[in-house]
Order: sequence, then C-alpha cells, then structure tokens
Amino acid sequence: MRQLLSLFRFELSAARRGRTVPLVAAGFALASGAVALIGLTAGGVVAVQGFARTSVSLLQLALWVVPMLALLTGAVAGAECHELELVAALPVRRRKVVLARWLAWTVALGAALLIGFGVAGAAIGLLAGTADGWRYLRLIGVTGLVLAASLALGLWIGVVARTRLKAVGMAVAVWFVLVIGVDLLAIGLLALLPPGRAAWWLSLLLMADPVDSARALGLGLFHADVVAGPTGAALRRVLSGAGAWALAAALVAWTVVPLGFAGRRLDRSDL
Amino acid sequence: MIRLEELHQSYGGRLALAPLSLEVAAGEVVALVGPNGAGKSTTLRALAGLIHPTGGRAWIGGHDVVADGVAARRETGYLSQRLGMPLATRVGDLAALVAELREVPPAGALEALDHAGLGDRLGATLGELSGGERQRVMLALATLGPVTALLLDEPSISLDAEGSEEVRLAIRTARERGTAVLFASHHLHDVALLADRIVVMVQGRVIAQGTLAELAAAAGVPCDAATAEPPIERIYRTLVTRGREAPGRRLALVRGDAA
Repeated sequence: MRQLLSLFRFELSAARRGRTVPLVAAGFALASGAVALIGLTAGGVVAVQGFARTSVSLLQLALWVVPMLALLTGAVAGAECHELELVAALPVRRRKVVLARWLAWTVALGAALLIGFGVAGAAIGLLAGTADGWRYLRLIGVTGLVLAASLALGLWIGVVARTRLKAVGMAVAVWFVLVIGVDLLAIGLLALLPPGRAAWWLSLLLMADPVDSARALGLGLFHADVVAGPTGAALRRVLSGAGAWALAAALVAWTVVPLGFAGRRLDRSDL
Repeated sequence: MIRLEELHQSYGGRLALAPLSLEVAAGEVVALVGPNGAGKSTTLRALAGLIHPTGGRAWIGGHDVVADGVAARRETGYLSQRLGMPLATRVGDLAALVAELREVPPAGALEALDHAGLGDRLGATLGELSGGERQRVMLALATLGPVTALLLDEPSISLDAEGSEEVRLAIRTARERGTAVLFASHHLHDVALLADRIVVMVQGRVIAQGTLAELAAAAGVPCDAATAEPPIERIYRTLVTRGREAPGRRLALVRGDAA
C-alpha cells in the first residue's frame, strides 16, 4: 500500500503539472454555462435554465466528451508505461504502476470536472435557483463513473499498443464503437430480432458498453429514462428496479477488468 | 552477488543472447564489451527484470530475477542506456519516488543528488537538464540505498571528462562497499582501468572472458603490468575480428565460465 501511495503521489504530481487538467476544468465550466444559458434561446427566451434541463443536456455532452478525453489520456498514459524503465527496475510490481496511473488521472481529471461543473453549478444555482440540484449532483456522479471506466479502458489500450501513436489511433476507434457503433448494432438487433428476445439482447448490449450504461444510468437517475432510447426501454423492462444497480455494477466492472488486464499485460511485457 | 546460468534471449527466432553463464562476486567489477548488437544490454536488461529471458536463470543476491523479481530488484541498482523516464519528470519528484520505493530516507536521495552536483536542480525537469546532468541524476539514483549488485549500461555515455571520472569513482566506491558491479561499455579505457574481468561478446555470444592480461595473451598482444596504457583497443579488435570470423568458437574462456 505504501508503494502504491508513493507511485500515486508521483503520478499525480506529473498529471497536475500538465495543461490537461486546467483545460478540462475551463472547458467544462464554459460548456456547462453555455448549455444552461442557450438551452432556452430557441424559444426566444434568454435565461439560465434550471438544474433539471441542464443536467439532461449536459449528460449527452459529457457522454461524448468524457469518454474521448479519458480514453485518449489513458491510452497515452498506458503507452508511456513502456518507457518507465527506471521505475520498472525498482522493487515494485509493474501492475502497481498501472493502478497508480489510473488513480492519479482519475483524481486529476475528476477534480477538473468537479471544478468545471462546480463553477457552472454555482452560477445556475444563483441565477435559476437550486431546485432539482440533486440531478446535477447525480450527473457529476455518473460522469465520474464513466471517466473511471474510460480511463481504465484507455490504459489497457495503451499498454497493449505500446506506442503513443498506435494507442491514440486505437482509442479513437474504440471511442467510435462505444459512442456510435454499439447504438447502430442495437438498432440492427431491434430490426432483426422478435421483440421478446430483443429486450434481453439489448440489455446485455447496454452493459457491454460503458457509455451506454452511463447514459441509461444517468437518464434513469434523472427519472428521464423514457428518452434513453431502445436500450434503456429494454433494460427497464428486463431489470425493472435493479436496473440502476446493474448498470453501476457494469461500470465498475468496466473499470476493474481493464485495469486487471492492463496490469497483467505490463507485468508480462518486455520493456 | 550476480549469477547467470545458461541465460538466453531470442526475439521471434532471432538469437539476441546465446546461453550465458557468468558469476560476479561481491566486490568484483566485470565489464561487458563488444560491438553493437553483441547482447550486452540484453544481459543487463534481463538481470534488471526489464525483459523476460527466453530460457536459463539468473540470481541477484540469491533471488531469482524472474520468480522473485521484486526481492532481486531490491538489491539491484540499474542504470539504463536510455533515459527510462519521460522528459517532463521533475528531478525532485523522481528522487523522492526512488527513495520511497527503495525505503531510503528522502534526505538520502537529496544527499546523493547534492553529491552529484545537482542539489539545486530538484525543480527542473529531466528535459531541462543537459545530457550529462541527466546521466549524473540517473547514476546517483541507481546507486541509492543498500544495493548489492550494480548494473550499468554505458554509464559514461554523453558525459564529459569530469562526468566520466565521477562514473569511475562511483564504480570504485561500489567495489569498496562489496557491491558486485556488471557494466557494459564502449569506453575501453574505462574498462581497462576498472574491470577485474572482461567479457567480450559478439553477436549474442561470449567469445572470450578473463582479466586484461589473460585476454591479451589470448589475442597474442603483448601486455604487462608496467605498461602505462594497456593495449586494450588492439586486444578488443583482435578478439572481435576473430570472433566474427569463427562464429561458435570460444577464444579465451579463462575464468568463471560455467559452460
């Protein structure tokens, strides 16, 4: 545990010194503020939206941006693990290096998201009232889960890819599959399978994709799952009340399993 | 003590290191010399736990470098030929990490950097240091703590005369402390000055090993203790040329050859 803490401190110090964290914080503050402000302009009103509408709009944005950001960050961090000869020659198991990197980036990017959402949240609270603020907090929680899972997946990709360029290419391809590819597959399944069987397959598919899991979980937590699309509707039917727990468990599994694979792969790799 | 028993390494059918058996006793300095691709770095990297040997075994301080890698690395100081860390790494952070993982008080790391003349560069990143400064940082951290085996891959690379003298001093100090030192170098002058025993490698094979005098005899080059500048370059060239001309033939296996 002491070794893990030492590595975590070292990795966090490196993560904090880069430009990624302040950029992410500023980006999310601006995006959240913009979504809150411009959401009503289509109706001819220039006003700040409350937390309920902003949370649902921001979830869609977060589920596009956060996985991309985390997959790329994780992929580069994973590929860099092969360059840490000095650390690998020290009395520490390499899987601890992977775990420390994941922890450090989760904390660093999580803090950046908190700052970004927090600044916008304070402005929304002041200008539009604090009603439905719990939705906004749940949005932050779901975003944190998808961040952790995507970082773990990115690290695994990076460790397997070995070089930054290859890792980034693979991360972009995986992002495309998670954000768009699985939904296209779901639509195809819906068209091909009889309705009774499709529900089960779609529920499985939902948990086989951390981004879809997070989307369905977020919309469910906002009580807005009617707009979760065919996968969300299917999940509600199959899992009823246990759906949220199953989705949260899927996201945790999407964090733990890739981290385990990444650590094992690095342990067995030649540097 | 460092011990290798038939340690070998292949990459996709290409032999990088033919079965190598070698022992480096406590307080002994052994040099690996040979042209590029001879297998020197492969040997050191396998001992440092960076690559997994295809076959054979190796021990450091009695710990198997594969099966008991963490314990073996606890006793090992390793200086890579590569930088081995991202350029954005801060010297102070790196020193603190190495000290914590080696269970040495942080003051020990700072003292080592201070001793290397880099005590005022803790806030700098590795990328902000000159090549020589980086090498001195890495050497200071490699020798940190109670290591019983020191593995140095081209320790004098990118160092000026003063830096090279620091490396020589570090190796001598390690020897006096009873550390087993195995180093690879193209600086034959350093090898002649420092090594108790020299292992000559060509294309992944050991073609000769022994003291400088023993290798000189094998190469047919006159060499006596009174010679101010030992003719190591001539010995080296002769042995390497013969090794290339007669692959598979061992020219001078004088001592420590378990094969």
